[in-house]
Amino acid sequence: MPLWTLYGLRQGKASTRWPASGDDGQSGTLGMPHFDPAKCQEGCRRCADACLPGAITVTGAAHGTRVAVDYGRCVTCQMCVEVCPTNAFTASGDWAFGVRRREELIWAHAAATNDAQALKGQIHRVFGRSLHVRHVDAGSCNGCESELQALNNPFYNLHRLGVFFTASPRFADLLLVTGPVTYGLRGPLLEAYEAMPDPKFVMAVGTCAVSGGTNGGGYACGNGLDGVVPVDVYLPGCPPNPAAIIHALLMLLERAPQRVHGGKIAAGDNGA
Amino acid sequence: MPELLIAACGLWLTGLLLALLRFSTASRLLIGIGAAAGVAAAVSALPQGGAVLALPFALADQTVRLHYAPEALWLMGFGLVPAALAVWLCSPVRSGRPGWLAGAALSLLGALGVYGVQDGYSFLIAWELLSLGGAVMILSERLSPSSGRSILFMLALLEVGSVAIMLALLLLAQSAGGSMDFARFLAGAQTMSGGLRIFVGALLVIGFGAKLGLLPFYEWFPAAYGAGSGASGAIMSGVVLNAAFFALARGLIDWLPSGGDWLFRLGVGVTAVGVLSSILAVLYAFQQDDWRRLLSFSSAENAGIAVIALGASLIFREDGHSDLAGLAWTVALLHLAGHALAKGGLFLCADGVYGASGAYRISQRGWLRAAGLAFGIGALFTAMSLAAMPPQMGFATEWLTFQTVFQGYHLSSLAGRLTLALAGAGLALTVAIAFATFVKLLGIGLLGAADQTKSTRIGAEYGLAVVLLGLAVLAAAVGLPVWLIALDDADVVQFGVHSAQAMSSDWLLVPLTDKFAFISPSKLVIAMPLLAILPLLLLLNARRHAIRRARVWYGGLHECAQRAATTSLTFANAMRTFYSFIYRPTLDTAREHRAVAYFIRRLEFQHDVADVFGPLLFTPIRRGVWRLAGRLRALQSGDLNFYLALIGALLLIILALTLR
Amino acid sequence: MTAPVLEAVARADLLRRCRSAVDAGARMQMAYAWFPDGPRNPEVRYVVYAGTREPLQVWRCRPGPQTLPSLAAITPLLSWYEREISDLCGLQFEDQPQPDPLVLLPGATLSTPPLVPGVNAALSYAAAPSTLPEMGGSTRDDVQSLPFGPVRADVLESAQFNFYYLGEAILHYHPQLFFKHRGMEKRFEGLTPELGAVLAERVSGVGSVAHALAYCRALEAAAGCEVPPRAQWLRVLLAELERMYNHLHYLGHLCHTTTLKVGEAEGKYLEELAKQINCRAVGSRLLRGLVSPGGLRREPQLTGLAAQLDRLRIEFARYGLMLEASTTHLDRLITTGVLSRKLAFDQGATGPVERASGLDRDLRRDQPYAAYRELPLKVAVREAGDAHARQQLRIAEVENSIELMLELLQRLPGGALSTQCRPSSGSEGLGWSESPRGSLYYAVHIDEAGRLARVKIKSPSFSNWRVFPFTVHDSNMMDYAINEASFGLTIAGCDR
Repeated sequence: MPLWTLYGLRQGKASTRWPASGDDGQSGTLGMPHFDPAKCQEGCRRCADACLPGAITVTGAAHGTRVAVDYGRCVTCQMCVEVCPTNAFTASGDWAFGVRRREELIWAHAAATNDAQALKGQIHRVFGRSLHVRHVDAGSCNGCESELQALNNPFYNLHRLGVFFTASPRFADLLLVTGPVTYGLRGPLLEAYEAMPDPKFVMAVGTCAVSGGTNGGGYACGNGLDGVVPVDVYLPGCPPNPAAIIHALLMLLERAPQRVHGGKIAAGDNGA
Repeated sequence: MPELLIAACGLWLTGLLLALLRFSTASRLLIGIGAAAGVAAAVSALPQGGAVLALPFALADQTVRLHYAPEALWLMGFGLVPAALAVWLCSPVRSGRPGWLAGAALSLLGALGVYGVQDGYSFLIAWELLSLGGAVMILSERLSPSSGRSILFMLALLEVGSVAIMLALLLLAQSAGGSMDFARFLAGAQTMSGGLRIFVGALLVIGFGAKLGLLPFYEWFPAAYGAGSGASGAIMSGVVLNAAFFALARGLIDWLPSGGDWLFRLGVGVTAVGVLSSILAVLYAFQQDDWRRLLSFSSAENAGIAVIALGASLIFREDGHSDLAGLAWTVALLHLAGHALAKGGLFLCADGVYGASGAYRISQRGWLRAAGLAFGIGALFTAMSLAAMPPQMGFATEWLTFQTVFQGYHLSSLAGRLTLALAGAGLALTVAIAFATFVKLLGIGLLGAADQTKSTRIGAEYGLAVVLLGLAVLAAAVGLPVWLIALDDADVVQFGVHSAQAMSSDWLLVPLTDKFAFISPSKLVIAMPLLAILPLLLLLNARRHAIRRARVWYGGLHECAQRAATTSLTFANAMRTFYSFIYRPTLDTAREHRAVAYFIRRLEFQHDVADVFGPLLFTPIRRGVWRLAGRLRALQSGDLNFYLALIGALLLIILALTLR
Repeated sequence: MTAPVLEAVARADLLRRCRSAVDAGARMQMAYAWFPDGPRNPEVRYVVYAGTREPLQVWRCRPGPQTLPSLAAITPLLSWYEREISDLCGLQFEDQPQPDPLVLLPGATLSTPPLVPGVNAALSYAAAPSTLPEMGGSTRDDVQSLPFGPVRADVLESAQFNFYYLGEAILHYHPQLFFKHRGMEKRFEGLTPELGAVLAERVSGVGSVAHALAYCRALEAAAGCEVPPRAQWLRVLLAELERMYNHLHYLGHLCHTTTLKVGEAEGKYLEELAKQINCRAVGSRLLRGLVSPGGLRREPQLTGLAAQLDRLRIEFARYGLMLEASTTHLDRLITTGVLSRKLAFDQGATGPVERASGLDRDLRRDQPYAAYRELPLKVAVREAGDAHARQQLRIAEVENSIELMLELLQRLPGGALSTQCRPSSGSEGLGWSESPRGSLYYAVHIDEAGRLARVKIKSPSFSNWRVFPFTVHDSNMMDYAINEASFGLTIAGCDR
């Protein structure tokens, strides 16, 4: 009979110190493609035709504003990077795309205004050190669940940040939803939302929950959480990796700054 | 006092007549008033006991004399309170009411006789009237298609008991020089040998145990009670059970001498029978899913506890501790008094549930919501008493029983101390399972979410009756130091010591001395509400915040609360597995398939527990009797010559006997 | 790789052919319907797996306006496929043992069958309780029913499990799946083949490579193109990387259900290491974005991969030994959720679940694809059929996978990464792959414009979810979670 306790102690601490310091575990990741409108070619539609979830749309206006990119629909398939003849779209390692307002995910030419929304200092004071999360799968492909389940492995160890998953919505502060909301799960999702006591928050994790992604629409699916429950944090990604989810949670708790404004990520490291 | 008893008797006879003439309402009224008169007689006559009343006729050369001892009045009074309420509410089966009332009147008359008559012949008649009355009550109701078989089984076992009683009376009468007068029995028993005295004691235990529900006789309880209504149960578990115990206690204490090795052995035997009966009865009570059957097993269990106290009394008596013997004897009387009130209350609860739902099933239908506050309080108090929760009467008497058994260290012999220690252990097991049983009864039988399909309420009259009995139980506990004095004179008469007086010290209840241990329901009933003030204040404070009522969380969909609720089987299932060597449970699932296997269409599920004595004892006996009857069928040959030959042989025998 | 054999079967012959195939030991693998020319003329296809090394047979049947005979009485596993065809394509079957809707939840109604080409079906839904078998007997009120879900405790997929139980003993178990039915097969309609690969990766998130691989192979079969060898070998690498991280996840999850805390932590940690290896090699933790029709889209980053796999192998070897020596853990697994061989075959169990019950079937070896024919593949089989056998099997498969990958990295050929893959209009293809959970099939039909007309997905979880309830009846609640974890199923793959 092996002595598991001894084994575990000998293995030592496997948790990363990120976001305080250390490895975020995502080296090599291809994140949301970086868009440079200056390199965009006139009359070319290749990126829009190669984008399955319709994140890239060609509007036909003057050079520079004719391509619209909505990162809330991006599934990081890198097709646009591969088909673009002029490298207007380049691969990047940016994945910390958690935002508070949906508009922030839409690439805008002008610099975005400061995050004018008054930070509710309340959140940090009440929930900053301990947040309880109820996860509801509203029809995801199981990729987001795989990354959410990874949050409690020894490497990320969500407990060290004071965030816990609960079994019942009655003890939850945050409703974390994945999936584009199928017809069958719309009712249970609303029930879960109703069953949570106030004050409560909602986070849409994954491109499906933010905008429907590739799976949304059709006869059986909705197009994400907008219009179903009020959302406090949107995190696109297909699936968003555990470090991105941690960043979005800390951002909700006002322990980390929002990195994306107007579709552009702030310079510097991902995360804290 | 005799006037009240005569009035009671007369009212019952009139009620019987009216019932036979099918005037149910008048009959109900009269019989109920008669029972109330009986209660009044008991209250007014304690503690001195009634005067002797000789009736102006004789039975087989024996004047019929009626004398009501204080303990008889005590048990009768407490038993008649639920009987009166049960008769006024009457059986819920309207068509069977005249027959039921006739049976009730017969039972009450029989009980009156058993408590009072002082000679063997009239005692046997009164005893049989008790059984007859019970059988008539249950058969008139026709609540179950197999009630005939159940009653036959009950009567068969009760007849075994009657035969044992008859034999015991004959033996005692023979030693007393042929007289069936109870007053002569003690002198006659002095002349018996030790072995014969044990034999007579055993016959008395078998005889009266058949009605009390000692092993193996408790097996008729579920079938018979389960074929009747709650009102029948209230009468049978109240005044009738008390009458049987009174007769047993009198038999073992008054008719048999008070010293000797045989008494020790008899006492150990009685204690052992009591312990095993109560353990087995309560184990089976816990597995029932019918109100009446559960409560019937619980009656057997409580009778067993009283018998444990009686056995302890015999052991103490043999060792010379009259005060402890008196303590034990008094405790048994107290226990059955509280039991009669509480059990009657719960049986009437069962009738209330039946009236609202049409079945006696223990299942979560939210009855407490559909009944009034009165019903809830009454049900809670009576269940608390039977579960031995403070400050109820059941708690006080169970505690006193434990204290009595703990006094075993005073005994001089190791065997005696060991017996009482083991009895204490058995008692502890019984009380624990009884607690679980009544949690199940109250929790599953009365609580639960409201039934969506039906919206019937429990009748207000049941609420009134149940709350009266609940408050009576509480009053009995709170005022116990006062009511105890009523039994003091009886203690002096029986044991020569003021045990009852010594059991209360100020407002505390003590086992003869307050240096050992004490409780006080009288003080608890003041302290407990005071302790509740803080939680109540917090509750009132919390009301200032707005409450948002939300649905029960089932995982996102709306579900029927009834289907998901704990059932009586699932509550008791773990015990079924744990005690499977006693229960030998069976669980069968039959699956019906559609055209092909693998596609399940329907499931049939059966579960059962096996009786202990049914297959061991009664089935072989029954089979033996059938075999014997089969052999005797030869007498029904149908051949005329054979019959003529039999008649001829019989004539010869008669001639031979008479011409001697 | 031998191509499947296509054969037209008349409606009248269906029953007879099916019976003779089943009697000869074949397995009716799957069935689907599509509309080659208009809503009035459907065609039903049956894929028959005759013998393990023989090529697959595909029967085509055009019933015209008539109803089809149900084959579920002969092969119970076809019952689910027939019900799905009725729900989504509107065809009716005669004498179905269980004619209830499968893919649609109780209370859902469609205006028109959604897979009919060119229609936009509207779905209206009012939640209704699941149809459970009737509970009879005088004591039926004593049985509790527990509807667990669809939102379940912990981070799990949504499905509702209905139990008829008595405290501990489970009398009957019915999983109500298809809450997550997203209509993925309809979403493929009208897409270009390249975008179809992006969508196929997102049908079942933890089986991205297997799904993309089966889809791409179906397209390559339709186009008749030959994938270059380097791409074939790298596809094997991706498939085995996926198998590795999935099995590590299920081993850790199994320890979670038996509350072996450090075992669970170690298993999940190894899974994290595997995902980080994926990330460094491919750029995606779930190995997405690489497999495309005709080969691979870009070169993975292979430097240092062999060293990382070696380190993982050493650590995993120790972990596997410790798991197999933990008696308290094994106590909970032995004789839990026993799946007999006959039941596994009749009900269509696939993958580790069937191999743990003694059925020696693996698509990588029996119907080789990618570069499996050229690599030393070891297929593990166990006989016991309980949760312990499934754990042993997964441990063996992880070890075999790592060994295979190390061998592969040493002998990897050079060359092009992809080739042109343009399926002509009206072509069709059947592709398959052995996903971590079992056999996965994609049937692809191309329309006149060269876009996808109909895609049928047969996922391994769809087959295994059918089998699972049979191991739960008459078991107990304490073992249920362990049994479910040992099966290792996804609901997204089943519901599509």
